[in-house]
Amino acid sequence: MKMNLQKIAMGLGLSIALVACSKDEETIVVPVSAITVKDLAADTVTGLGLDGRPQSALTTTYYSLVDNKAIASTDAASTKWDIAFSSTKILINGGTSGPGIGGAFVHIGSFDTFTSIPADSIFKTDNANAASYAIPLGSGKAWYTYDGLTTLVSPIAGRVLVIRTATGKYAKIEIISYYKGGVTLPSTASVNDKLFKQRYYTFRYAYQPNGSKTF
Amino acid sequence: MKKIPCLLFFLILLQSANLFAQSRFVKDTLDVSGDSVVVTATRTERKLSNLTVPVTIINAKTIQQNGSLRLTDILKEQTGINLTSGFGAGIQLQGLNPDYTIILINGEPLVGRTAGVLDLNRIALGNIKKIEIVKGPSSSLYGSEAMAGVINIITDASMGAPLTIGLRYGTYNTVDANLETKLQTKHFQYQGFLNSYLTDGYSIRPNSNSRVRTPIERYSTTQQIKWDLSSKTNFVLNTRYTNEQIQNEIAVTNNGVTIYSIGKENIKDFNASASLNHRFSKNLKTSLRTYTTTYDAVQNLLTINGLPYRDVLNHNFKRIENQTDWDLSKNLQAVFGMGAVWEGVKSSRYDSEKLRKQNDIQYAFTQWEWKPSEKLTLIGGLRFDQNTQFASAYSPKLSMLYKLNPQHQFRFSIGQGFKAPDFRQLFLDFTNAAAGSYSVFGAAQAQQVIARLDALGQIGNLFPNYYLLKALKPEYSNGMHFTWDWKINSSSVMSVQLFRNDIKNLIESQQVGTYISGAQIFSYINIGRAFTTGFEVEGQHRFNANWSINGGYQYLRTGDKDQIAAIKSGTVYTKNSQGYSRLMKLNEYVGLPNTSTHKLQVKLNYNSPKGYYLNLRAIYRSRWAVNNNNGNEVFDNGDVFASGYVAINSAAGKSFKNGVSIQGGIDNISNYIDATNLPNLPGRTFYTSIKYELQQNKN
Repeated sequence: MKMNLQKIAMGLGLSIALVACSKDEETIVVPVSAITVKDLAADTVTGLGLDGRPQSALTTTYYSLVDNKAIASTDAASTKWDIAFSSTKILINGGTSGPGIGGAFVHIGSFDTFTSIPADSIFKTDNANAASYAIPLGSGKAWYTYDGLTTLVSPIAGRVLVIRTATGKYAKIEIISYYKGGVTLPSTASVNDKLFKQRYYTFRYAYQPNGSKTF
Repeated sequence: MKKIPCLLFFLILLQSANLFAQSRFVKDTLDVSGDSVVVTATRTERKLSNLTVPVTIINAKTIQQNGSLRLTDILKEQTGINLTSGFGAGIQLQGLNPDYTIILINGEPLVGRTAGVLDLNRIALGNIKKIEIVKGPSSSLYGSEAMAGVINIITDASMGAPLTIGLRYGTYNTVDANLETKLQTKHFQYQGFLNSYLTDGYSIRPNSNSRVRTPIERYSTTQQIKWDLSSKTNFVLNTRYTNEQIQNEIAVTNNGVTIYSIGKENIKDFNASASLNHRFSKNLKTSLRTYTTTYDAVQNLLTINGLPYRDVLNHNFKRIENQTDWDLSKNLQAVFGMGAVWEGVKSSRYDSEKLRKQNDIQYAFTQWEWKPSEKLTLIGGLRFDQNTQFASAYSPKLSMLYKLNPQHQFRFSIGQGFKAPDFRQLFLDFTNAAAGSYSVFGAAQAQQVIARLDALGQIGNLFPNYYLLKALKPEYSNGMHFTWDWKINSSSVMSVQLFRNDIKNLIESQQVGTYISGAQIFSYINIGRAFTTGFEVEGQHRFNANWSINGGYQYLRTGDKDQIAAIKSGTVYTKNSQGYSRLMKLNEYVGLPNTSTHKLQVKLNYNSPKGYYLNLRAIYRSRWAVNNNNGNEVFDNGDVFASGYVAINSAAGKSFKNGVSIQGGIDNISNYIDATNLPNLPGRTFYTSIKYELQQNKN
């Protein structure tokens, strides 16, 4: 409760400041509240191949931050979605991934205290041809680390995915877990659990519908 | 009487001197004071009380009465030492990983490390005379790997019974059998030792059909010959051979279908050393030594419906060395040494298992010991190692001993140790097809291999790291040790030791680029900086002729200096129970993984003049961090810890006058089990043993 009050107070403070210095635009900044999405399946595992690698249908789960709902993959070529997940890969609707004007960058800091996007921030877009993504792939690169011994994927603490949506609005995301149930499995979890409970995203996000860069 | 010191000097011949020390003559002379002789600390024979560096001696009686079978059994009961698991049982000395302690057998290094760990279960203790542990960097004498310290296992030579037979049986059908023979003539001594160790292994994980400790059949033999060619020259030959078969059944259940596979591992370990020792005069002696060792491991994994998997590692090490000891005056003694090493590894994890990767080392060292007064001894040493595959290393060391009075003495040492990049870090050529197709290339050839892949259009990105790859440097540690020995009274002694090790150039695997596919490419780079620091307290008290107690405690703090800097700069976050990030505070940092803040062990002994003995040993180790699960790469209170534990062991026995001795023991009496973090600690185990020593003819 205290946290929420603080957040609201901070949001109000910011909004007052913004209102004060941008009188003519008449934008009213409303503090946005964080929404938690639980256990979003993203190319879940169907079995183990003979080569020892997890097998899956190689699907991508598209998600609209605007509407807080999953979007059918038949709409992949639209601007209905803002962010998409496929195992550890996270795509934005822009560049080679979609027709939108989406972009992203990874901010190091805490989700709660990241309340405005600095003016000089550079949003990157996806370029699959150069294996370069707005949210870089790989362990330790953007939002997770992979431990080869425990075979677990853990979200890195203090990573905020700052998103420009398909239509040019802004959102921030913190990935909480990659496993079904919303908590990273313990290292002692069974091989089966590690295999089949992975690729379920739990994350919280804040979306600013008014187009401003503050949350 | 005059002859004694003269002969004594002759007998003090370098590493091999430990063999001589066995001869009754020397032993009696030196043991009058009850003061043990140590060879590892200075590479010359010195009394324990005259050493400038901290040394622990474990003698044969302790090993035997504790019922210790393998080297790990006895080391885990020492102050400042913890066992590590993973790639066999290694040891952590004063908080430093197994890679940083050199293990010697009669002064010659053991090879065959897997991921930096030497499996010390390979070493049987049946014929060991004593184990010397030197704490602190000792690269000034021993070169690479002697960063945390040195453990020297000295085998029993020619003293004792001509024939000894021992048999032990314990839980999990563990059978250990020893046969030892000794032959002596005036100028010739022979010792042969045969050990077989068979165990069914055990499974301490519930509902698991794969065993934590796999069934093992292990045979080892050592042979020793000492031959006095003249009154001034002798020849010593040592050989050791171990052959071990491990069978591992693995079951992987997937989608309700269980795939069984059988892993078979065969390890052969052979060492041979020969030394020729000559004394030119009372003040000058020299020793020429050669050593060769081969470690050969073949692992075959046969799966029923998968591909067979084969992993081969063959490591050989050959060395020739000369050491000359020159006593310039009564107060000034010098040691000079030089040598060459040819070391090679063949592995299926390198580009071809048929091609041997080679590293040649040339080295020279010197050590000067100066005794300006009866109270003060100063030792300075320096070693230089030159390598074909990586940068050269200088290892200096200074140490001193100050005897304030018969009750108090102080030792101080400061030195630099190093660890050369190992073959894996230089030559690994490994692509994991199963987990994301990542590759790891050793630093010595990474640029070459990656350039070749680049020419084929396979490389996506190269990171700035890639251009730093060229010269992998050894890892360095600067160690400081301060020891205070206090002889409280005739029945109590204690010592306090402060230590600090600062390590730089730690070699860590780092991503250097990506494939076109985005898969990662790793190599090895010198980046890490760390420290370990703390203190040790040891004490011993004799209640009466029969009862005594001894114990030791270590307080340890460790840390990664780069991580600490990152935490201080406010860029490290941690997660709360909901999975939300927040800034991490420095006081939440717990240091390096697998290190415990507290370790305590206490041993109560009973020995009767009639040959009965009993001991009760308790070991406590506080919690240690094992896994990073809150996603910040640093270990803090929110991570996964192995809980602290107490293990209590006890053994009792009796030696009869006719040469028979019997023993019974229980290990881990409280049945503490932690299958995940302590795979080397089975539950409660019982054993019983019988030993017969053929009585020597007394005339």
